[in-house]
Amino acid sequence: MAYHLQESLDELIQTQQITPQLALQVLLQFDKAINTALANRVRNRVNFKGSLNTYRFCDNVWTFVLNDVEFREVTDLVKVDKVKIVACDGKNTGSNAAE
Amino acid sequence: MFSNSNTLPKLYLSVIDDVMENVRELFLEEGIEEQVLDDLRQRWESKVLQSKAVEGFSKDNTNPSNFVLQLPANYSQTLQKTIAPVVIPAGQLAQSFAAKGSTIATFSLPPGVTYPVHIPAGVTLQTASGHLYKVNVPVMVTKAPGCQRVSAQANQPLVEQSTVSSTIIHNIPAQVTGPCPQTLPATQTSQPALPTHQQSQSQVPQPPSISLDQSTRPEAPATPEPSINQQYSQWPPESPSEFTLDGIEFSPQPLDMSMSSPLTTQLSTGLLGASGNAQVSEFGCSVQEMVERAVKAEEEPVALASSGDTMSLLPDLERTPDSAVKLEMELLRDYNFNELTNIVQMDGACDSSSEAGDEPQELEEESGAIGENEFLGMINAEALKALQGAGGSSDPSDSSSSNNDESDLKELEEEDPLNSGDDVSEQDIPEVFDTENVVVCQYDKIHRSKNRWKFYLKDGVMCYRGKDYVFSKAVGEAEWFCTGFGCCHDCSWSHIYMSDERLNRTQLQAHLTSVRIGKSKEVKGKQAT
Repeated sequence: MAYHLQESLDELIQTQQITPQLALQVLLQFDKAINTALANRVRNRVNFKGSLNTYRFCDNVWTFVLNDVEFREVTDLVKVDKVKIVACDGKNTGSNAAE
Repeated sequence: MFSNSNTLPKLYLSVIDDVMENVRELFLEEGIEEQVLDDLRQRWESKVLQSKAVEGFSKDNTNPSNFVLQLPANYSQTLQKTIAPVVIPAGQLAQSFAAKGSTIATFSLPPGVTYPVHIPAGVTLQTASGHLYKVNVPVMVTKAPGCQRVSAQANQPLVEQSTVSSTIIHNIPAQVTGPCPQTLPATQTSQPALPTHQQSQSQVPQPPSISLDQSTRPEAPATPEPSINQQYSQWPPESPSEFTLDGIEFSPQPLDMSMSSPLTTQLSTGLLGASGNAQVSEFGCSVQEMVERAVKAEEEPVALASSGDTMSLLPDLERTPDSAVKLEMELLRDYNFNELTNIVQMDGACDSSSEAGDEPQELEEESGAIGENEFLGMINAEALKALQGAGGSSDPSDSSSSNNDESDLKELEEEDPLNSGDDVSEQDIPEVFDTENVVVCQYDKIHRSKNRWKFYLKDGVMCYRGKDYVFSKAVGEAEWFCTGFGCCHDCSWSHIYMSDERLNRTQLQAHLTSVRIGKSKEVKGKQAT
């Protein structure tokens, strides 16, 4: 979703309707909004299990690549061959860019 | 997770709303018009909706009962399926439709159907002549006394002429994604103009609902173009309710009205004007029918991910007494049946009609292929270390001849202890971003015990095969195997990767398991291919 926002912003920048600086501000606002929305409006739990392919911890950001993962929710199950997980620090206010 | 499909649209829309509100001030400070803000919002919404990340995102989902229109022939059941976005009976899809040329379709209301008739998006209508129209945009057909108004809506390109009995359809302005070749030769109408005429007469669902309705079926094969066949239609009106739909010309225009409107399903005016150059066929009012349509046209390429809603405008409010109204739809683009079928996919092709589901596999294959080439160069270094037998000696020579220079290989051989296998994992597994299944979240706790990892995550968004899911909490566990060049740390057992990572991983896993159990002591220095 953030990707779509970025695309739209880029289009506007191309046509010079907005400045890149403004686009950046919009993205920041989006980050805040999506974080708030996720925190407040979403209430579901997911379990997953798989095999870890790579892990990386840099700048307080974990990046994992998992293989053959099963994402299990109460209602259903999703199997994934490969998934990348990017996780920011949830204890302090870390920046988070959602898709 | 699949329950998310119901809540996600609302969630995303609410996020969009929040962001837009917060950003409005920023825009004003910069001295940028609100038009730009609305433009941004429209583009964003259209992209999100088109991405199919959010399925079933149709306003019509809330009003299934409104759909009454039934076309004759075999589309009655299709019409019944008001909501399913991808309900397009395969056999009923037009193979292709005349790319450029005005088509005239007439629809007639089935007997017993009274106005107003609401055709939700996603329904395929078939005219008597056999033409298929896919209602990409919810259409409401109303009967207005003495006046016809057609709000052209950019429907999917599969429009063919039909001479079915007419139905008056109000097109609820909805976004038509993908190429919408429909054109309305009618005179252009402006949105403000329409309301004045139609206010008292018709109910046109609000565009905002349309924005929701939009193209979850981006390239629906057929869009029903309601046509009001009044007197001047080419076909003699079969009944007073006949009308033909002239081609609707679309030009890419931001759908201002629909996007900015609140998510309501009621149009106060009944006309959905499309900003831009929408040309709407002219309508005459012969019988007491009035058709309004908002036409959205899109000139974007047919890619599923194509965004850019355009709305072509609404029909002129002309009233030609006792003249049939005709809308001619011109296809701006050709559509292949294949494209249509691809478009119709429910499984969420992420950005293009290519199979998103196959992409992860493709990526793996590619990485495997890449790995092969790279491995060939590195096999030499590794082989020297691992091979004892003469069987391995042929490999480096082969690989060197096929891949690197011998000198490089020699260097590798010399530096073997230092850099053999370094960065292999990264080369081995290129972390490609394109259409990769991604989870973006926050972590509460990441725990590791030997090679067992436990993840405690929260507030995340997951994109899998183009579909979005969200979670407030996620707990996972995974086991980490040394999947690089297959080195077992306990012994010097190593193996040479083949192209299939999984096979290697399995082999390595099996080996590690056996090592742990303490069974295989003989594997020291053993090469496995």
